[in-house]
Amino acid sequence: MKSYLLLTKAQLKIFARNRQVLFWTFFFPVFIMLMFGAFVGKDQGIKLSTAIVDKDNTKLTKSTIKNIKESSLFNIKENLDKDTAYERLENGNVDLIIEIPKGFTQKLNDQVRSPLEITVYYNEKNYSNAQVGITLVNNIFDNISKDAQNYNPLFKITPKGIEAIKIEYIDFLVPGIVAMMIMNMNMNGVAGQIASWRERGILRRMQGTTLKASNFISAQITARLFLNGTQTFFVILLAWLVFDIQIRGSLVGLVLFTVLGILTFMSLGFIIAGIAKTPESAGPIAGFLSFPMLFLGGVFFPISNMPELLQPIVKTLPIAQLTTSLREIMTLGTSISELSFELFSLIGWMVVSFVIASFTFKWE
Amino acid sequence: MKTEIIKLNNVIKTYGDVKAVNGISFSVNMGEIFGLLGPNGAGKTTTIEMIVGLRKPDDGSIIINGLDNIKDIKKIKEIIGIQLQSTSLFDLLTVRELIELYGSFYSTNVDYDTLINDMLLKEKQHARVKGLSGGQKQRLAIALAIVHDPQIVFLDEPTTGLDPQARRTLWDIIIKLKNNGKTVILSTHYMEEAEVLCDRIAIVDSGKLIALDTPNNLIHDLHRENAIEFYCEDDFDISSIKAAEEVSNINEHNNYFTVYSSNITKTLFTIIQIANLNNWILRDVKTRTATLEDVFISMTGRRLGE
Repeated sequence: MKSYLLLTKAQLKIFARNRQVLFWTFFFPVFIMLMFGAFVGKDQGIKLSTAIVDKDNTKLTKSTIKNIKESSLFNIKENLDKDTAYERLENGNVDLIIEIPKGFTQKLNDQVRSPLEITVYYNEKNYSNAQVGITLVNNIFDNISKDAQNYNPLFKITPKGIEAIKIEYIDFLVPGIVAMMIMNMNMNGVAGQIASWRERGILRRMQGTTLKASNFISAQITARLFLNGTQTFFVILLAWLVFDIQIRGSLVGLVLFTVLGILTFMSLGFIIAGIAKTPESAGPIAGFLSFPMLFLGGVFFPISNMPELLQPIVKTLPIAQLTTSLREIMTLGTSISELSFELFSLIGWMVVSFVIASFTFKWE
Repeated sequence: MKTEIIKLNNVIKTYGDVKAVNGISFSVNMGEIFGLLGPNGAGKTTTIEMIVGLRKPDDGSIIINGLDNIKDIKKIKEIIGIQLQSTSLFDLLTVRELIELYGSFYSTNVDYDTLINDMLLKEKQHARVKGLSGGQKQRLAIALAIVHDPQIVFLDEPTTGLDPQARRTLWDIIIKLKNNGKTVILSTHYMEEAEVLCDRIAIVDSGKLIALDTPNNLIHDLHRENAIEFYCEDDFDISSIKAAEEVSNINEHNNYFTVYSSNITKTLFTIIQIANLNNWILRDVKTRTATLEDVFISMTGRRLGE
């Protein structure tokens, strides 16, 4: 018992005295969070920079432009002559040019049944934005046509978000960053440290004493739980202070999944340390496992953006279960009982990897 | 009455095709400093690591204090302390923190302050391992080995790489361990260290035990109390010297001759006479007492450093 306490204390002292490691492991997730949060977080969705060349220039076209302006998706630039607008479209400063032809007002009053052509210029280099823009412009003028002809729609579509919560990218990102930090600190961190201690004979020297392996491993787990818990707390605190993110679900659930994640990735780290013959090979092996998880596991992008075929596979990864559960709890306030798939999968991962780790652990 | 505290019986350890330890048997008496002397790669470290239970022998048995070192390794670990050749410690912890940490691994401990004083580490007790000198690190390693007051202490090449002064400081500490009633098993490849410290010496080479006795007996048994060394560029014919009764052995290495004799006056006179008769020129003529180095050379045909 005394050896367990002193080993835990020793490991925490080693963490605290290794300032550089401590700083960079903490700074990295914070940096990513601030960077993504600042650049991606504010402007949610797309904003189409659109120039309108009004050749008709009447009271009616002005009010039509005003209507388009109200749509939050357009960033309208008026009063550009056609050449300037065209030039800007070419070098990418403008996504679309809508050209309202002469006779637009007259056409609306005429009620003649052949449609007047409204030209929308776009740049193929910016294809996806242009596609969205063309669809939207189509909609707007379709509505104007319908209104003008007193068209009564049979159906009306009302979009309603079922969660009824405004979620921004930063809300999505912070749980992902926390999961990433847990994976890096534990899987990569443990693998590197244990492999290096083994290489340097530190573990061997301890094997020569009456110390039990279980005491050594428990102390490692305790120290890392403590350190990671603190780091997670500060990352969330910072996200709250800077980006005003909310934790809607239970703190118990958050702590539960954080602990499960730490234990699972630590065990994986111990397994890697057991496989790696040298500390130099522990890094690449851990990288080989953590890199795909970082990109597939829902840290930065939703898993639902993955190809359909890949999704069921991705969902079996521990990182996916960790990001999903942390995200659901933090942003949506989902209860633990609704996250039973994530809970039991993660427990499964933890148990299996812990068993393998304890069988493959070698002092030397 | 001598009590055998460690007994090795025909211990064998093979790595691939290499027989690192090839059937070694010996006993260590309680309270003595027992030396394992041999060149690098002789199997000293492997032997020590098998005795302390860090490696399993392929064959043979090791009994420590009446206990089998595989079945009863847990009980044995309580009465032995080890300092390993290749150990490094947690760089970021201090001397005192490490002593307290290693102390916590055992059920009994010595007084930490006394231990730190005895190992001359008082001024460095709050310094991190990173900043210690080689000698201080080795003294810390010995402190960790005896933190639980073991009966037997294993020191694997504790003075390798230390400067002469640090080496002598460590010798004093090792002698103190013996005076405190501990049995010490010490490996070294320094002849003079083995001669000064050890009560008995086992000379090992290529995984085999080639001699085991007190330093004095090892030298005396070979009747090589004195040696004459000289350099001769001419083709010195040694046959007439070799025939003499008092000459036990002659080694030649790159025109350097070492003649072992029990009657140094007579042999030296003969050598000079022969050289004078043949007009051979002798240089660097020296006489000295035979050492363990000479014992090693005569048994293996090589010098220790080779």
